[in-house]
Amino acid sequence: MKNSPELLHPRNFFNVSNATRFIQVAESLGVFALLMIVVIGASIVAPGFFTYTNLTNTLISASITAVTGLGMTFAIAMGGFDLSVGSVQVLTAIVAADLLSVVDPPLAIVGALLAGLMLGLLNGILISKLRLPAFVVTFGMMSIVRGVALLVTQGQSVMITRHSEFGLLNNGKILGLPVPLVIMIIVFVVLSALLKHTPFGRHACAIGGNRAAAIVSGINVDRTTIAVFGLVGVTAAISGVMLSSQLMIVDATLGTGFELQTITVSVLGGTSLSGGHGNLVGTIFAALLLATIASALNILKVIAVYQYLALGVLLIFALSIDSARRAFITKSLLSHA
Amino acid sequence: MTLDPIETTLVKGERPVSYGAVIVNFLTKYYIQCLLVASVAVLAAVNPYFGTVENLENILLQASFAGIGAAGMTLLIVSGAFDLSVAGLLGLCGVLSSELLPSLGVVFTVIVALVLGLFLGFLNGLVVTKLRIPAFIATLGMMNIYLALAFIWTNGSRLISVEDPSFNALGTGTLLNVLPIPFVVLVATYLICYVILNRSVYGRCLRAVGSNEIAARTAGLPVDLIRILAFAIVGGCSALAGVFLTAELSSASAVMATGYELTVIAVVVIGGTSLRGGSGTLFGSFAGALFFAVINSALNILNVGAYWQYVVTGIFLISALGVQALRGYIQAE
Repeated sequence: MKNSPELLHPRNFFNVSNATRFIQVAESLGVFALLMIVVIGASIVAPGFFTYTNLTNTLISASITAVTGLGMTFAIAMGGFDLSVGSVQVLTAIVAADLLSVVDPPLAIVGALLAGLMLGLLNGILISKLRLPAFVVTFGMMSIVRGVALLVTQGQSVMITRHSEFGLLNNGKILGLPVPLVIMIIVFVVLSALLKHTPFGRHACAIGGNRAAAIVSGINVDRTTIAVFGLVGVTAAISGVMLSSQLMIVDATLGTGFELQTITVSVLGGTSLSGGHGNLVGTIFAALLLATIASALNILKVIAVYQYLALGVLLIFALSIDSARRAFITKSLLSHA
Repeated sequence: MTLDPIETTLVKGERPVSYGAVIVNFLTKYYIQCLLVASVAVLAAVNPYFGTVENLENILLQASFAGIGAAGMTLLIVSGAFDLSVAGLLGLCGVLSSELLPSLGVVFTVIVALVLGLFLGFLNGLVVTKLRIPAFIATLGMMNIYLALAFIWTNGSRLISVEDPSFNALGTGTLLNVLPIPFVVLVATYLICYVILNRSVYGRCLRAVGSNEIAARTAGLPVDLIRILAFAIVGGCSALAGVFLTAELSSASAVMATGYELTVIAVVVIGGTSLRGGSGTLFGSFAGALFFAVINSALNILNVGAYWQYVVTGIFLISALGVQALRGYIQAE
């Protein structure tokens, strides 16, 4: 790179990229440090937090959020996001529970994932082909899918009575690790590979970084958009299946505010809403942080509504850090230009 | 001064415009008003109950709650932002007004609720403009905070009942025995907002900020202040809707307006205001609010379950955007 004079300001280029990389690492570390502080604090303040059962439960609920959070990180890296994940999660959880009364678990899971994929692809098609803003389309879909979930269940709960082995998805162990954690790790590995090492992931980041440039350089923006939203739909469906196996009884009111949680873990984990890159490791740490806070508040018998408050404050906090970072990068770009 | 070529032809009348073009133009410009009239006509013809005074009064009443919020939201969307926190804000103001009513009396309660709404809207504006967080996500976070505060205030989702006949009359009373009071307030709100948007310097600033923020900034407009004021107006309108909703239901709870933000934004978008900002039609929002109330009333009369309303609202929102996109496409051709 040093002997390529066509890069007009190589020095500036490196400075900026160093600054960005430094910020990225600092952010992952920052969330991790925050997580450690909260874990230590919770172990001291809340007796019964640092027990095997509670830690496992915390890990499980963190995994459910993290799986969709990872998909959301992908969408945010592409400069979009999906407000319908909560509704998709609950609808697919209901689909899985309903199918379990007719077919075997593997088929029920496939059915739920297909439903999630369809809904995600529909989001993507509406956004890319009709050129509608992502947030309104997914906002409308949030309402539609929630309505469909209510219609399917007629407002009743669906209990999973047959196939009790379906519960293994929640409380089973593989190599001593809880199954939800394993699922989350698999999703993480697959999405990291997709994001960092395939043209698809690079195209998604390119669209998020500079949409016009991505179009000019011949990237099929529509197809990538549809695929990314399909991916988000699938991750929401995986979370839905995990949720139904955790609760074994589902109804259409679950999953409200899930979209807020997943966007929060993405942004808190260091993925900027301005798009262009995604921090998947940070997303996982942030999901663990959120679950730890929720678990500690539960043990301390703080009523559940304070968790709403905590989530809202945390989201605004993470977003102000994000905007401060963007201002910093713009400043450093300007000062070197 | 030279006139625009199209304008010149219209002024001089050189090219007679065909009736077909006039009709098409009218239909695309006032499609929501046409849709409203058509749906009312069809429903009145199909169902004998729909056309009764009782039902029509109820439609006007139901249209008022979303309509009042939509008036402020139209101004905010014209300025290029929007607010998803209105449901939480409305709940908080409703809970507050029902708590304060016994000690403050009707007039002061309404004023305090209104001031709180303006303040919370102002806060939204500060978060969006000064912390530079995208509006939709910042206000989504703020909604969580408002909801939580209302929950904490009421110890969970407890209903606070309101037993003050003069306050309840705000929601259930009628003017001249025909027009529900909230509807009268709705009309007044739209008139005020119309004057603000189309006849004041501030309205012109709103449109300037919405159509090109950088140009507005360069021209020396206080962009942040203009947006913050628009957020405050939305907050005030939502608080007003909260007061009337509390009066109508004669109770308040934190979750009394779940999904309000979706309805309000859908009303504005169906009315024909573009989410890109820069221009908006209050007449459209007004008709949009009535249209939504008509559809909901029809769903109720035809005995379609409440769950369908989620589906219908979402489909209307997305298809209204589709219509807008189509219109832009036709105009570009």
